[in-house]
Amino acid sequence: MKPHEWSEQLLDAMINADRSGAAELIGNALANGIEPQQVIAEVLDPAIVRLGHLWEKETMSLAQNFVASKIAEDTLLRCVPDKTDSLCTKGAIVLGNIEDDFHSLGRKAVGLFLSAAGWDVYDLGNDVPAEELLEKAIEVNACAIGASAMMQTTALNIRKLRQLIDERGLTDRIKLAVGGAVFNWRPELVSEVGGDGTANNAVGADELFMRLQAEVMNRQGTP
Amino acid sequence: MNPHTIWISCGVVRAEMEELHRRGLIDGELLFLDSMLHMDPPQLETRLTATLEQQKAGNGCLVMVYGDCSAHMLDLVRRFHVGRVSAINCAQLLVGRERYRQLMREEAFLVLPEWASRWEQIMKDELGLNKATAHDLMGENRGVLVYLDTGLASVPEQQLQEFSTYTGLPWRVEAVSLDTMLAALMSARTEALKEESA
Repeated sequence: MKPHEWSEQLLDAMINADRSGAAELIGNALANGIEPQQVIAEVLDPAIVRLGHLWEKETMSLAQNFVASKIAEDTLLRCVPDKTDSLCTKGAIVLGNIEDDFHSLGRKAVGLFLSAAGWDVYDLGNDVPAEELLEKAIEVNACAIGASAMMQTTALNIRKLRQLIDERGLTDRIKLAVGGAVFNWRPELVSEVGGDGTANNAVGADELFMRLQAEVMNRQGTP
Repeated sequence: MNPHTIWISCGVVRAEMEELHRRGLIDGELLFLDSMLHMDPPQLETRLTATLEQQKAGNGCLVMVYGDCSAHMLDLVRRFHVGRVSAINCAQLLVGRERYRQLMREEAFLVLPEWASRWEQIMKDELGLNKATAHDLMGENRGVLVYLDTGLASVPEQQLQEFSTYTGLPWRVEAVSLDTMLAALMSARTEALKEESA
């Protein structure tokens, strides 16, 4: 079976909330000699992108998305290389659900994808005050903070983080990535809360953080 | 004289709203939408918008008893100049922000009385979770089921036990007074009146 066929089957398992079926499928793909990184890139990524399209077209329920996210997480955990195998990293980034937000699935998936892509991820969890996110970013010399929010009112709490970054004179040193379902539904919210960028799903997170890191480096004159 | 208040509320807190009304702690008219609309946020928005359009034509002061249940809740508030309770969801409306945060840190899955009677329908039919998947998912993300007992119905012990068996999580009951919810309702009504007079 070719990777796109595995991907089709994985998508079916995600939509049907068949977690054990998905696990078996990934196990079979790996047993058939598909490399873990290829599973991520050619089986999981396309399934998640298509899942995102279904979500945007509102043909998926929140619940289906919930289970699908867990399946994606399971798959990543099986395919992400051991951290100790990495010789170098892309840099540090800090993640967290903003204060009053408790929807952790998207953030966890982003963290896994970013770890898989070679970032040092400091995931502070749910309901994290803006001050805490910024202090951690300064401590670990992160080029960006990823603030997650599921709903409109909690997304607005990210404005405080934007304000703190600017007040501390760190606008060019620490970029603010924002994400969560509400930003997909309402793209204008990204600028409303002061975000420097967003990604529609976890698959796009690496590219987003690479871009933000490049912006920081360009401003600082780092080669 | 204050205008007539119309409370547009999620059916999940119907018993609580009706009790506050019965006790004379809130006045006006109570309108409820089916709590199952939460399973379909766009449909919830459509129904809410239609209800707000219809009610806005009258002279009432409108208050939405809804949390952040869909992506455009704040837009509805701004568009129709209505009040809305300051809570991210119905559970936070009942227990308040600080207690809600404590419960979330405990990884509690909060069960409202109205929801308790529908757990099987929601988990199996709406979410499509079989027992094994539900067991895994709940076990990974939650630590305990907490039934929020508002004292208006007997605790459905058998249903909670069945839900506990289905998810593999222990359960307990937390008594909740309606004072916190009432304060949120009154605050939202004050906001609605300000919007009306603006």
